[in-house]
Amino acid sequence: MPIKISRQNLYLLILSVLLLIIVLLFSFNVLIPQGKNYREQKIVVLKQGNELQRYEMLHMQTLETLKELQAKNRHIIKALDTRFDPIRFEKQHRGFFHSLYLEEMSELSKDGFFQVYEVNTSSQIDSPLNFYSFLEAVNKSDWVIEIHFPIHFKRDEKRIESSFKMHVYNFSKELYENNITKQEPAEDGQTL
Amino acid sequence: MSYSYIQTKRKSVFTSEMQLLLLFFAITVSMLFTTSAFLFFKEFHFQYQQEEISQKEQQLQIEIANMEKKIAYIQEKEKQAEKIFTQNNVLKDSITNLFDLIPERITISEAKLLSNGLIFYGITPNKDVYNFMLQAPLRSIFHKTYSSFYPYENGWLRFVSTNYIKEDKELINAN
Repeated sequence: MPIKISRQNLYLLILSVLLLIIVLLFSFNVLIPQGKNYREQKIVVLKQGNELQRYEMLHMQTLETLKELQAKNRHIIKALDTRFDPIRFEKQHRGFFHSLYLEEMSELSKDGFFQVYEVNTSSQIDSPLNFYSFLEAVNKSDWVIEIHFPIHFKRDEKRIESSFKMHVYNFSKELYENNITKQEPAEDGQTL
Repeated sequence: MSYSYIQTKRKSVFTSEMQLLLLFFAITVSMLFTTSAFLFFKEFHFQYQQEEISQKEQQLQIEIANMEKKIAYIQEKEKQAEKIFTQNNVLKDSITNLFDLIPERITISEAKLLSNGLIFYGITPNKDVYNFMLQAPLRSIFHKTYSSFYPYENGWLRFVSTNYIKEDKELINAN
């Protein structure tokens, strides 16, 4: 028995099938790959976000450590970056001596990352106790100073003549960075 | 001449069913395009976010590296300063202890403190006082002790006491 389809219905059927094909083609060729890409990129962004959070935490922790160290070592940092000033040194430590004379500062050597300057000192003190007090005070002075041998004490009537060497330390960024860059290739060699 | 009382109507392809179908598909297609546009926008947004995150990460890495460098500087400074402060304190204690060794009956006129020794110049009433009260404690501290005496006023003696500590190399050789 032949199927009778009106012309209108035939148009409807053809159009439906055509539009369905368009929808399916669009979905499979455009929407699904786009969705896949969207999901992949979302995962990447999430991962990157987590990594960023990790870096932010590390940044916060490092900043905290740096601030703590800076606060704890404020005196040392300032002292090692300050160039020695004999006039200011004499002013600050005159109280421990009857007289104090500093010779001109000379560059002595490099100790690790530090530039060392030598200052020869001669002075007059009333008693060794003054020298002990000076040794205590020198650790709190505006510079990092090491009192060095030879130390000479000689009685001169009522007073004691003393002479000693002072080594003044200054931090050198250049020395530090040169040293670090020299060490780096060796470290790489070890990892290989 | 006409055979019908009603007027002829032109038949259109766009029947009500066809219009309904077209409307349905128009809605479907617009929804598909909206979804596609949303996904396209999101893709673009993700790319922007990724670039932003990478830039922030790089910035943070640079800042962290700089801070770590500063921390290393400070740690080096702290280590060196602590070493020097300790040496000064040890020196102070050593000098205090050395001067405490000197008995009241002996007068020191000169003292030379060296990195590996000590030289005392002074006056003693006699050799026994020097030997028992000064040389004995000095011997317990130093490895080598030499003394020489010269006559002084009123029968007292002027002395020179030279004391040395063996260097590490010498100690190793001796062992």
